[in-house]
Amino acid sequence: MTVTRELHTTTSLCKVCKEAVPAQVVALASNEVWMRKVCDTHGGQEVRLSTNAAWYEATRAQRQLKVAPRIIRHEVDHGCPFDCGPCTSHTQKVRLPVVTITSACNLDCPICYVHNKNDDAYHMPVEDFQLVLDHLRTDHGGELDIINLTGGEPTMHPRLFDFLDMAKVAGIHRVTVCSNGIRLAKDEDFVERLASYGARIALSFDTFDPHADKLLQGANLLATKLKCLELLEKHQVDTTLIPVMTRGVNDHEVGKILDFAVRRSNVRHVEVHTMTYTGQSGSTFQRDQRTGRISMYEVLEQIEATTDGLLRPTDFVTSPCAHPLCYQIAYMLIDPDGGAPIPFTRFLPASELHDALSDRLYLEPTAKLEESLSNAIDRLWVDDANPESARALRLLRGLLDAMFPSDHPITQREALAAGERAIKAVYIHSHMDEETFDTERAVDCCDSNCYADGKTIPVCNYNVLYREKEASFNVEPARWGTRAGGQRIFTLPVVRS
Amino acid sequence: MITTRRLQDKRVLITGGSRGLGLAIAKACATHGAKIAFTFSTDTHDADTARAALVALGCEPLVYQGSVADSAHVKATVADVTAKWGGIDVLVNNAGITKILPIALLEEADWDAVMDVNVKGAYLYSRAVLRAMIRAKAGHILNIGSFASERVIEAPVHYAAAKSALRGMTEALAREVGRYNIKVNLLSPGLLDCGLAQMLPKHRIDQYLAQAALGRLGTAAEVAEIAAFLVSDDNSFMAAAKIVADGGL
Repeated sequence: MTVTRELHTTTSLCKVCKEAVPAQVVALASNEVWMRKVCDTHGGQEVRLSTNAAWYEATRAQRQLKVAPRIIRHEVDHGCPFDCGPCTSHTQKVRLPVVTITSACNLDCPICYVHNKNDDAYHMPVEDFQLVLDHLRTDHGGELDIINLTGGEPTMHPRLFDFLDMAKVAGIHRVTVCSNGIRLAKDEDFVERLASYGARIALSFDTFDPHADKLLQGANLLATKLKCLELLEKHQVDTTLIPVMTRGVNDHEVGKILDFAVRRSNVRHVEVHTMTYTGQSGSTFQRDQRTGRISMYEVLEQIEATTDGLLRPTDFVTSPCAHPLCYQIAYMLIDPDGGAPIPFTRFLPASELHDALSDRLYLEPTAKLEESLSNAIDRLWVDDANPESARALRLLRGLLDAMFPSDHPITQREALAAGERAIKAVYIHSHMDEETFDTERAVDCCDSNCYADGKTIPVCNYNVLYREKEASFNVEPARWGTRAGGQRIFTLPVVRS
Repeated sequence: MITTRRLQDKRVLITGGSRGLGLAIAKACATHGAKIAFTFSTDTHDADTARAALVALGCEPLVYQGSVADSAHVKATVADVTAKWGGIDVLVNNAGITKILPIALLEEADWDAVMDVNVKGAYLYSRAVLRAMIRAKAGHILNIGSFASERVIEAPVHYAAAKSALRGMTEALAREVGRYNIKVNLLSPGLLDCGLAQMLPKHRIDQYLAQAALGRLGTAAEVAEIAAFLVSDDNSFMAAAKIVADGGL
């Protein structure tokens, strides 16, 4: 391993004991990026973070819009990531609140990145959910427009629809329910009810290959997923497909999954997760070799290769709300006549798409976006020698026709929904595990698991360290001091290059 | 609480009266004792709902479906209303459409559609009712404009042009028929709690409210009440007036 240069230093975790350890991120002569660290007890460790050092550096240098949490719930005691709440070192407020409403699950996926528990299952009480909403509203200065309900399998929570009611009363317009689809495929009334609540489904959808299906989910679920999607489309439930990309298992299918999503009228986003070895998967899936690990840039390359260049790495931007190495985001205009979708970055500078995402994880009709699209339309119009410009203009005109019909007024929310039907987004979200853990990313995280007492824990910190300690989700919860180092006697600084 | 009946037995024809501000004007006029006829273009459900709302106010409205830009429809409607009521005292040219489009996407068909409904429609209906009004030496024509023609704001070019055309038409027609005691006026509302404001993204509404002296959207009912005054005999001296009700932009 020939190191050409150090890119930065940070604090990571030992992959064995989850003690915090200083780490060095280096570029190799091969152009790969690796993290290197040494645990006093368990020795030297290294893990590849990227296959493209130039991309890694350029991405890490992207601007962020940091808005610190309004309320700090924990002073720095042990150092990141052991003081979550948030602590004073956290730089980003919660943009995507995640609420884990149940420990129950009707699957046992080898790749699941959290621990679940079906015996004496935990179901969040409605009173606690109300407290979560109240805290979030306070912490957001009164504004709360998005929430994600997860589990376990949230459709197994006996009072899910009460939660949806409460979220609606709280003024949240984007309520996403994670699901494996089993309940939905069997229960059309349930799907119809979800539609009536305006809930969105985030459906795990990893593969079309039965062998990969068995490997990733522990069962052959393709028929179930397709049935589920048929019902979701029938009742026009906004849906996000979530494939977990696993090197050598299903990464070659990413283009097929994107094409499938483009053709589904109710699928709004595809959110590709890179394989992460936490939770169940840490103990069961490729336990020793972890050969399924795939970097963000490899996913981008696979997307370009398997979509015939429909989406290129340059069509993606980082999220200004998160650490730039955590999200890659592309938006596409859909051609209702069946032509290829047009990535936004083909008519909008990437910097403008990045800025339009400035305050939210998802594109919303803000003044900034309106100005950017207005400029883009003028540029396309002036570029009248280019047939692709004419097609892009036609699609943008269709978008405006859908959002502002002249024959009947529609509400702002209906206009937003109409706009979403003309657009699809591809998100790549790279979670961390103890091997790849980087506190530089953790302190900038905007996705947090939220509790009734107001505490919030960034999802990677939660998945790696906190969930395994909770009795609600583990028959034998781990304890601080056995794996994570517990009450540390030194303050661990956040090390930045 | 409205206590006057300033339009008692007045015969009022409102274009585009099945929803939004048009319906609010119809209801306000009915509350003031007027007979109501209204037109609508496409949505029969809205028209049925509007009819029911007016019936609930003790009115038996005459309802006509058609495009204000279709001269045959205009002639037939005015003829039928006149035949049933013996005349028309008030015309409210309210029918209007818009399309939020930048100039780059504004095709000729879009321009023509907006001009046809918003300008030609007002011309056709005004001309159709004027002969009887001149004969009666009395009448009111109220054109519904928009703040888009009154202030420098972001508005689709064709819509702003159409509403500005109505402004010019109001002034010219008022001068031409004023000698017959026919009062032609323009009422230009700002953003209201119906119609366009419902479709605009929040930041657009916020921009408007930040500029408006009153700091709120108008209601269709309060603008309709202004309209009811303008077309009543209580308005004895306002002609060629351009009344802006926009909360103080």
